[in-house]
Amino acid sequence: MRPAGLRPGWALAAGIAALVAAFALALVLGPQPVSIRAALAGAEPDRAILFGLRLPRAALGALVGAALAAAGVALQALLRNPLADPFVLGVSGGAALGGTAVLAASAAIGAATPLGALAGSGSAVAIGASAGAAASTALVFALGRVGGRLVPEAALLVGVVFNAFAAGVVTLVKVMVPPEQAARMLYWLMGALGYASGGALAAGAVLVTASLAALAVLSGQLNLLSLGDEEAASLGVEVGRARGAVFLAASAATGAAVALAGMVGFVGLIVPHFLRRAFGPDHRLLVPAAALFGAAFLLLADLAARLAFLSLGSEPPVGALTALAGGPFFLWLLRRTERGG
Amino acid sequence: MRTVTRGPAVPAAFAAALLTALAARAGEAAPRRPAERLGPPPPPRPARVVSLAPSLTDTVLALGEGARLVGVTRYDTAPAVKDLPRVGGFLDPSPEVVLGLRPDLVLWLTDAGAWPAVRRIAELGVPVLAIPVVGVPDVLASARLVGEALGAPEAGERLARSLGAAVADAERRAASLPRRRVLIVIGRDPLVVAGPGSYPDALLRIAGGENVVRGDRPWPVYALERAVADDPELVLDAAVNEPPETVLRLSAIPAVRAGRVVRLPDDRVLRPGPELPRALAELLSAVHPEAARP
Repeated sequence: MRPAGLRPGWALAAGIAALVAAFALALVLGPQPVSIRAALAGAEPDRAILFGLRLPRAALGALVGAALAAAGVALQALLRNPLADPFVLGVSGGAALGGTAVLAASAAIGAATPLGALAGSGSAVAIGASAGAAASTALVFALGRVGGRLVPEAALLVGVVFNAFAAGVVTLVKVMVPPEQAARMLYWLMGALGYASGGALAAGAVLVTASLAALAVLSGQLNLLSLGDEEAASLGVEVGRARGAVFLAASAATGAAVALAGMVGFVGLIVPHFLRRAFGPDHRLLVPAAALFGAAFLLLADLAARLAFLSLGSEPPVGALTALAGGPFFLWLLRRTERGG
Repeated sequence: MRTVTRGPAVPAAFAAALLTALAARAGEAAPRRPAERLGPPPPPRPARVVSLAPSLTDTVLALGEGARLVGVTRYDTAPAVKDLPRVGGFLDPSPEVVLGLRPDLVLWLTDAGAWPAVRRIAELGVPVLAIPVVGVPDVLASARLVGEALGAPEAGERLARSLGAAVADAERRAASLPRRRVLIVIGRDPLVVAGPGSYPDALLRIAGGENVVRGDRPWPVYALERAVADDPELVLDAAVNEPPETVLRLSAIPAVRAGRVVRLPDDRVLRPGPELPRALAELLSAVHPEAARP
């Protein structure tokens, strides 16, 4: 059943248009007025602000938004519950834990050359975060089983509890590391789109693109998996293998997103929900659409964060804004789901 | 030999990383590192300077070069810069605002939190002088460094000498006096104190005090009962942004109960910069009220 019968081609075209528009806005607007014409002519500081600051940051935001929204769609299909989001399910928490552990280790090992160690640790943090995301996904789905069946509510609870646990361990690590390292961790974990080095951005792009491609390939099986394990198996899906592959791709996407931008929550909840309402439940369309609209969504949220600088004299991390919107949204969705609506 | 990675390898790696973190010692993690130039070389006499730390702003002002500042942090309170644009905070300077000010020199107090932003600023062609300031020798060195970077080396040298003279004077006066045992309170809730390796600890030593806090962390969260057991002769209240009477929450400490508390006048004195002589005078008169007046 497709509620609002938009054709897939149109849906993707709308996604691309949204992404292009959001990207353009992210380039044009910011705390500092710049002239595009001057920037193109090579005038400073317009050129540096436009191409050196806003362009890489917009690319970062697009990558993170695409990864989180697509991971949300995949996790919701596996859990057969619209409340599954990488943040709520504890996958982001696991990624933060993994990344923090690597950061703490780098503080301990590279203490003699802090600048060098910090600069070089971007990919190490990404690997740690992805490993943490994979481990926590496995944990949530293993402990979310009751009598051999995956119970969405149980998995969500495990995720919530695991998040609290991860937050506790991260706090503990923060107390143990030197203050300047702790400050860096805090800012990273708040979920800020900052100024990742070119290398980290490229590594993140490769990881996100690969996992999005994997999810797109798996999207046909996601349709069957979302019917339930037995039904999927009876339709010829190798449930264990397919689910494992989706786990891995969603974890890698979330890990890369967390390594690049920390804990940005609820993108994977808000975006897929509206897409399902607009385009229907077909995952072959939902996965690419979530990537496109997720990227656009986070770009706009980050734009709001940057423009807040004008009034606050400081930039709130974009994670604070998505949580501000996402928390109430989650509760609303929870009430709706309870009523079976 | 082949290394086989299986399931348990991931938790094992986490555990190893956490253990390594446990083994890390904060005191050792802040080695003296030299000042660094990032980005292109600055002009010999920079005309548009952005300061990313209040203590560096103070240094520029003390050198008599305040007219060249075009941007400061939102924590800067010096009257001379109150109308200048703010470029964000200590941890979160906005590269976009910094670039928009077209600086030809950015002064940065080395701090890991702002590193990605500062690195990007330097990559985009703005000269950055990264100055580590941990202890008293760093304060003297940074006066010279900022002086040289601004093309005013004599002024820098003069400032460094006068700061050095203030240190020597305080040491000389404190030398003949008994060393008093002091607890420096930085925050109340939780109780955060200045430990060994922190700037206030170094000032206290020069002023003839002995820090009751041991260990290897510069800013530990301290158990109140340990502070009670330490039984300091004097409590130095550096939590100046909290109301003075709230120090009574610490009245389990005998010195607080007995009223042996001295409150610092403002939080500028503990900034590692040109406020050094005033800070030493405050500490000297707090620790040795009987002998502080010359």
